[in-house]
Amino acid sequence: MENSYLRVDSVSITYPLFNRARSTLAVASTMEDGPEPMAADAQLVRDRKGRICAIRALSDISFAIEGGERVAILGRNGSGKTTLLQVLAGIYPPQTGTVTAKGTATSIVNINLGMRGEATGHRNITLRGLASGRSRPEIEAKRDEIAAFSGLGEFLHLPVETYSAGMRMRLNFAIATAFDPDILILDEWLSAGDAEFQKLAGKRMARFVSSAGILVLASHSRRLLEQNCERAIWLDQGRILADGPIMDVMKEYDSMGSLPRKAAR
Amino acid sequence: MLKTIIDNIYAFFSDIWQGIIRFDLWRTFAWDEVQQRYRRSIIGIAWIVLSYGIFVAGVAVFFTPLSGHDPRYFVAYVAIGYAAYIFLVGNIVDGCSVFTSSQIWIKSVNIPYSVYVYQSIFRSIVILLMHMVVCFLIIAFTVSGIGINAFQSLVALMVFIFNAISIQYFLGLLSARMPDISHLVTSFSRLLIFVTPIIWVREGLTGSRAFIADFNPLTHYIEIFRAPLLGQEPRLTSWVVVLVLTAVSWILAVIASVLMRRKLPFWI
Repeated sequence: MENSYLRVDSVSITYPLFNRARSTLAVASTMEDGPEPMAADAQLVRDRKGRICAIRALSDISFAIEGGERVAILGRNGSGKTTLLQVLAGIYPPQTGTVTAKGTATSIVNINLGMRGEATGHRNITLRGLASGRSRPEIEAKRDEIAAFSGLGEFLHLPVETYSAGMRMRLNFAIATAFDPDILILDEWLSAGDAEFQKLAGKRMARFVSSAGILVLASHSRRLLEQNCERAIWLDQGRILADGPIMDVMKEYDSMGSLPRKAAR
Repeated sequence: MLKTIIDNIYAFFSDIWQGIIRFDLWRTFAWDEVQQRYRRSIIGIAWIVLSYGIFVAGVAVFFTPLSGHDPRYFVAYVAIGYAAYIFLVGNIVDGCSVFTSSQIWIKSVNIPYSVYVYQSIFRSIVILLMHMVVCFLIIAFTVSGIGINAFQSLVALMVFIFNAISIQYFLGLLSARMPDISHLVTSFSRLLIFVTPIIWVREGLTGSRAFIADFNPLTHYIEIFRAPLLGQEPRLTSWVVVLVLTAVSWILAVIASVLMRRKLPFWI
């Protein structure tokens, strides 16, 4: 537990498209007032005929996170944040480069993932617990705590498909943090919770990190990131633009995030 | 290059093993799935037994006169043969979607891919055992001279499961990359029921039908399971064919996973 770490060394991830896209997509027209088009040409991999055949989601990413660090991942939509989290969680094996992790990782990358909609909240506590490698007695020992933290009460006896997005998120977060993982990886949906829950979640994350765990949090909510993290990694078009103390990176992000892409380079 | 291959082979067997020890996980998942299918029905999963009983009764009434065999023998023959057939073909068809249908889990938690394979197989075993309830009732009333040899069927069942692991892993990877495989397999599986001796008996046949039956691997798989339960000795040929194909299926699974396993999450 004490010296958990995450090391990422020149990792690249390319999503193959196969027959999903067969557009010859000439030069995308840019409207005067519209936002910058999302994937820049640098991220689209084309075959010999000029058709898009893959998307380079991450290019040559390297960084290291030591135990006790709380790291924010920020960037625009499509900048590679979720992909990076999935790589850190061991879900995507990197095509080039290496990821080495010490410690057990728990991730909640998408609120709807990893839950069985037709099963009750209680059943999902069991299933998620088993999926994160816990035994039944361990799960039972934590059940009351999870139920209390989720604040769902009687709703835990109903199928998860009847829950609102916020309720699912509460349950998911309660389960993910209950089993004291060494590395906790959370995607942006945490901002779906109400103010009261965000405060609770913040407290829990702080307690967790004080015991030398690692927190990696991606979000668009500035407040959430500033409250919970001290370091930030800014991703843009699958590359790291900045990595450092959160206040510095935020300042840079604010001043350049609104400028046209080329100027940001 | 060679090192990469060896690493990948090691990763495959480690995945197979790491999945086995997560027994509690896939058993629970599979059981949930079976129950889910019969949710809100009054007799629930007893439907599996009941509907199989109805099927066997129907076949007994319509096909026994056509078969020209002793009705007592023929009903047991059909019941056991069809239960084994559903298990075997079910594993081939399920294998094609074993990873694609679990994509939500594969993309959200880092657990061995073999867990999804075991989950799928365990589900088929539950169904097979419930079908066997019907079979044993029939055997009790019809088959005489069933002895210790019937335990050979248990060995055959173990071989089925061992095959199911490699076949599902192989087809799961292949059809994650090429969805057409899954449609192709489904198309052929519809034909299989006619070319496999289930509602007709191979013994005593000559000509093209006997040839087709012997050429069809399913004939041999079903034979090693069904014959001992009917108080017969399966042909040695059948055991040889099954064991050779088992080895082939594991080799295919190893090759497929060396080439494709690491790419799986990107494909689904």
